[in-house]
Amino acid sequence: MTQSIIINGKKHAIDVDGNMPLLWFLRDQLELTGTKFGCGSGLCGACTVHVNGQAIRSCITPVSTLVGKKITTIEGLSEKGDHPLQRAWLNNNVPQCGYCQAGQIMNAASLLSVNAAPSSEEIDTAMQGNICRCGTYQRIKKAIVEAADTLSKEV
Amino acid sequence: MTISNVSRRDFLKTAGLATSGLVISVALPMNALAEKGIMKESAEEINAFIQIADNGDTVIYCGRCEMGQGISTALPSAVADEMEADWQRVTVKQGDADEKYGPQATGGSASIRVMFQPMREAGATAKAMLIAAAAKVWKTSPDNCFAQAHFVINKTNQQKLGYGELASIAANMPVPEKPTLKKKADFKYIGTALSRHDQDEVVVGKRIYGVDTKLPGLKYAAIIHCPVLGGALKSLDKTAALKMKGVSDVVEIPRFAIPFGSIGGVAVVADNSWTAQQAVKQLKIEWSLGENAIYDTKEYKQQLVKNVEKPATLASERGDIEKAFSTAKHKMSATYTGGHLSHAPMEPNASVVWVQKDSCEVWASTQSPADIQKVLGQYLERDPKDIIVHVAMAGGAFGRKFKCDYVHEAAVISQKTGSPIQLTWTREEDMRTGYYHSINAQHIEASMDENGNVTGWLHRAAFPSISTLFDPSLVRTPANSLDDITNHLFGVENCRVESGDAKAHTRIGWYRAVYAIFYGFAFSTFADELAYKAGKDSLSFVNQLLDNNKNKEQTAQVKRAKDILAIAANKSGWKNRDKLPEGQGIGLAVHYSFQSFVAMAVHVEVNGDDIKVLNVDCAIDCGQVLNLDGATAQMEGAVVMGMSLALSTEITFRGGAVVNSNFHDYPVMRITDMPNVRVHMPDSDESPTGLGEPGVAPFAPALSNAVFAASGKRYRDLPFKPMSV
Repeated sequence: MTQSIIINGKKHAIDVDGNMPLLWFLRDQLELTGTKFGCGSGLCGACTVHVNGQAIRSCITPVSTLVGKKITTIEGLSEKGDHPLQRAWLNNNVPQCGYCQAGQIMNAASLLSVNAAPSSEEIDTAMQGNICRCGTYQRIKKAIVEAADTLSKEV
Repeated sequence: MTISNVSRRDFLKTAGLATSGLVISVALPMNALAEKGIMKESAEEINAFIQIADNGDTVIYCGRCEMGQGISTALPSAVADEMEADWQRVTVKQGDADEKYGPQATGGSASIRVMFQPMREAGATAKAMLIAAAAKVWKTSPDNCFAQAHFVINKTNQQKLGYGELASIAANMPVPEKPTLKKKADFKYIGTALSRHDQDEVVVGKRIYGVDTKLPGLKYAAIIHCPVLGGALKSLDKTAALKMKGVSDVVEIPRFAIPFGSIGGVAVVADNSWTAQQAVKQLKIEWSLGENAIYDTKEYKQQLVKNVEKPATLASERGDIEKAFSTAKHKMSATYTGGHLSHAPMEPNASVVWVQKDSCEVWASTQSPADIQKVLGQYLERDPKDIIVHVAMAGGAFGRKFKCDYVHEAAVISQKTGSPIQLTWTREEDMRTGYYHSINAQHIEASMDENGNVTGWLHRAAFPSISTLFDPSLVRTPANSLDDITNHLFGVENCRVESGDAKAHTRIGWYRAVYAIFYGFAFSTFADELAYKAGKDSLSFVNQLLDNNKNKEQTAQVKRAKDILAIAANKSGWKNRDKLPEGQGIGLAVHYSFQSFVAMAVHVEVNGDDIKVLNVDCAIDCGQVLNLDGATAQMEGAVVMGMSLALSTEITFRGGAVVNSNFHDYPVMRITDMPNVRVHMPDSDESPTGLGEPGVAPFAPALSNAVFAASGKRYRDLPFKPMSV
């Protein structure tokens, strides 16, 4: 029986070599291109997605290890693109080229799900695996703080 | 500049524009561009389109390439402002490669400098024609009408007509000869912090970059390149690769020895990128490395230092430097170096190319679509105009994507396999097959009188120049690449510039800020060293050095440089720097490049070898600012890139090949090192200039000066703390 994986709430058969990293299954098989290829070695964070709500680097995660797991990509983070982080990213005009930002947002969402009010140091520690070559770090940090604040008011 | 009503012209169809409504084109005469050093020929071509459909939807095309610098928001917003368009009704589209847009090559911080005025005039023209159309409908005078937020309003009776209703009528109105431009006080978008037009797509993962292109029947390719410039394939065993499931072809790509052609490599074609990448690892390849296999950057840099610490080839001279040196009160010399840099944009080189018998179509992140047309035209022996290039959003570029060797390679693979090919380089190939920022050495000797006036300045520079891309026989930096030394704003009566030998052993290319990186570093660091020697504070010393510039052609520039430096210093708390805690210090630098003035004050805390950057105050004078938010973002980014190259990034060659491979051994800056960056922009009425490049230059010298102030330790080599690889 074909094994399957759930991506953004939708079941997909794993019809590829199980060693294929999730990144390429998303990008080349499903043509879900919001998740980006940056380094292929888990060094830059551009490919970050959630597995059962937790951030992982999809470029080094074989799809065979994800059978039956729930994957969330940037396309599925929120129904209307209005996750507090997405709104904060817009409020703070975070993106320059924007290429790394899907990974940044997914990583930050994972952080906020376990730490609703991270300190500056905790943000640094959680986000240090995500490179932005355009240099938007100052705004990323501001946006995360703002989103955390929004979330605390919503609860 | 000519603005035309092209609503009915045939070429609109070929340009993919709708033919109803109003279409305004802007043509910037090429001879005007030639004056600005952008283009050589004299002709008139169309640079931009504004299209207003009958329902009012407005499309503004941006002919310049977007790579994150925000140009596709900035320029269309200038059009929208002048035409009184409602920005919410405007869609920005990227223009494909077409000489009708004029020069699309995007670099040198030239877009706003060259296009700001023509874009405004295009918008003003559209507005005048829409007003004329409304006046005709109402049988009143155009003076009795005004435009506001996508409507023309009748002053007498307050009637309104929407731009959509007016578009087709406006298309029949004469094009005004000299449209009236708005006054600064009336701007709605220019000079504001307008958000990027596409950021809502970015945050949901819907923004399409070059690497995201999908076509029916697409095949995926990966590549390994010859590790040494000038080397070639000696033997290839592709058996194991071809046996892999999903692999369809192995394609040899010989070096195409033109500036933006492939360095040479072997590609694998497969059903998906990952399989192609795995199959590349199964190739058994032997390369003959050629004469550049001797290249070792450690040894080479030592040789460059030797070449600048002895007399070299004269590039320019003024006054009598020997006399200045022999009568000096103080003399001082220092040598500065820097390593190769790789652009390393987050999106690796990627494109889709489909070569067919009668057509060739390209989808690529690029800074220079016309160069793609030129290279592919030459390779395929077709007219460059027949190469269709769709310009995609680039996921960062920094100069790398000006040089589209990766597109040439995809074309070779597509031609040989007959399939549409997406070639995506791995990060390792991107790191190892670059067009690197020059490795460099500079030696400066200066003399001062008893009042701390610099009387003589000998400046020797040696670096393999970008000119070697076009003329590999060059053995030293050509004199014209040293003009920025000769024309530096520091006022020194007796000055001699020399060029040391520096043959290129790899491909050298433009990298954000280009030569300003090391010129800015040497000038502003050396000035700080001189100030210390003369017993003066660095700010007043630099001001004196600038005041000593008696060249009348530079008077205005000197004033702007001084003013902007004063702002950075004031904002940083320079005056109270004596009160900083032990181990902290502030360093200053000001640099003029790409016609913009940038000063930085860097505040650091030094603890042993540990350098922590706390605050950076950037002051910029780029004339009138078109987009405040975009300008601020460019400076924040420049600090980050400046910090990477000042502290840690360097490309190392051994045996002719790059040793670095990925972000673990090319450690670009991360969020943990981010200082507090404050950007200051004084109001200005000067014509606007660009900001993509000039922000990078002042950071490294300001950091060197800050570390010296904090600890007494002087860093003269970039990066300060290289990783051993």
